[in-house]
Amino acid sequence: MSGRVIVITSGKGGVGKTTASANIGTALAKAGNKVVMIDTDLGLRNLDLLLGLENRIVYTIVDVVEERCKLKQALVKDKKNPNLCLLAAAQTRDKSAVTEEQLKDICEKLKKDYDFILVDCPAGIEQGFQNAVAGATEAIVVTTPEMSAVRDADRIIGLLEAKEEIESYRLLLNRVRPNLIKSKDMMSVEDVVEILSADLIGIIPEDTGIITSTNKGEPIVNDEKSLAGRAYMNVARRIMGEEVDFMNLEEETSVVAKVKKFFKGLMGKEK
Amino acid sequence: MKDNIFAELYNKLLGFFRQAEEEESAKDVACNRLRVVLMQDRTNLTPQLLERMRSELVELLSKYLEMDKEALELNLDQEGEQMALMLSIPVIRAKDEAEIEKALAEEEEKTEETTDENSEESDESEDDEDEIQEEDSDDTETDEETSHPELVSGSQAATVRKFPDKEICGDCRECELSDDIECEKKSQNLSVKKTK
Repeated sequence: MSGRVIVITSGKGGVGKTTASANIGTALAKAGNKVVMIDTDLGLRNLDLLLGLENRIVYTIVDVVEERCKLKQALVKDKKNPNLCLLAAAQTRDKSAVTEEQLKDICEKLKKDYDFILVDCPAGIEQGFQNAVAGATEAIVVTTPEMSAVRDADRIIGLLEAKEEIESYRLLLNRVRPNLIKSKDMMSVEDVVEILSADLIGIIPEDTGIITSTNKGEPIVNDEKSLAGRAYMNVARRIMGEEVDFMNLEEETSVVAKVKKFFKGLMGKEK
Repeated sequence: MKDNIFAELYNKLLGFFRQAEEEESAKDVACNRLRVVLMQDRTNLTPQLLERMRSELVELLSKYLEMDKEALELNLDQEGEQMALMLSIPVIRAKDEAEIEKALAEEEEKTEETTDENSEESDESEDDEDEIQEEDSDDTETDEETSHPELVSGSQAATVRKFPDKEICGDCRECELSDDIECEKKSQNLSVKKTK
């Protein structure tokens, strides 16, 4: 088996890289793939929290690199899905604790046993980014329809294009608010795609469910009713090579749709 | 009197609607600002270097064309994936062959003169010629000096002329013109738009 190594990056912080990693990883595992997620944000790890695995971490990536444990020992299995596991970042060390070569090596080893290796990249374009990208051949650039996020995404795309190892990159547009787009207060999906001239892998609507799911430590893809969860599931299917149409968010978030959903909910409860 | 009131009301209404039409939405503002910013981000050329390039292009082209230097526009534009250098010059007239020959001859003599200066060999008769030429060149430079005083001034002007590529790249290591091969590539992309 030779797995695909995909780095999830953005340049700007706070656009939803880690949330995207957690959800895409969970979605890919739900679809039957063997998935390992690597948190490369040394010193500022959070992927464990989003997956609800913070209490199960014994060894981190730094322990693996410094040979205090075997690679397999450091992989933390997900609570629900045995196909999914996490290689956590060290919280007490900084970005220099792991080198590009070491990360490449880890990815090469994991490729043999897993279908997908998702690398959650830290914000910024410094060494942390260089490390995270080192082992990957594909990239997902997360951005939001805000000027600063788009600008940083453009910079990241420039850096990714300069890397020979990166064969392809696609854009994940996060926190899209159909109402604001309709009133022309927010850049539309088309605007961002045109400005960055990059292919799209997914559109994720702004969803308050993300906050509650983060608080519970359970990725929103596990909630099949939520819009963002469905959008992430579609992203996973596209990664697997399926052709999935993009959701019409304007329709999905319209008042009519909300009323329908409300009644569906009532009916469900009665039964 | 009544007519006036209606006319005023009509104009006000018209003005109201026009304002609503003309007002840019927040999204359009964002898109336009982003496009400009990204254009600058994507090139390593600083505004200073762009200005320098502009003045050097003017110099080169003015050997062949008489043009409105003030109205010259130089912009980097994004067309799909390709970046293009858009140069818009109002041409007053094309110079005839004799003038061009003369300008080229002057240029040649000037390079000779500078090499003479370097090797410290000078004839009195040549010196006289040189002085005349220098005066000439000073005249042509004046309008540039006023528009970009920091770029072309006095004795610096001569050095800028002789080694334009090296001069640009000496200041900026990231400069895309640093490599001769890349330089040729760039010049292929360079599309010159002439307007009359």
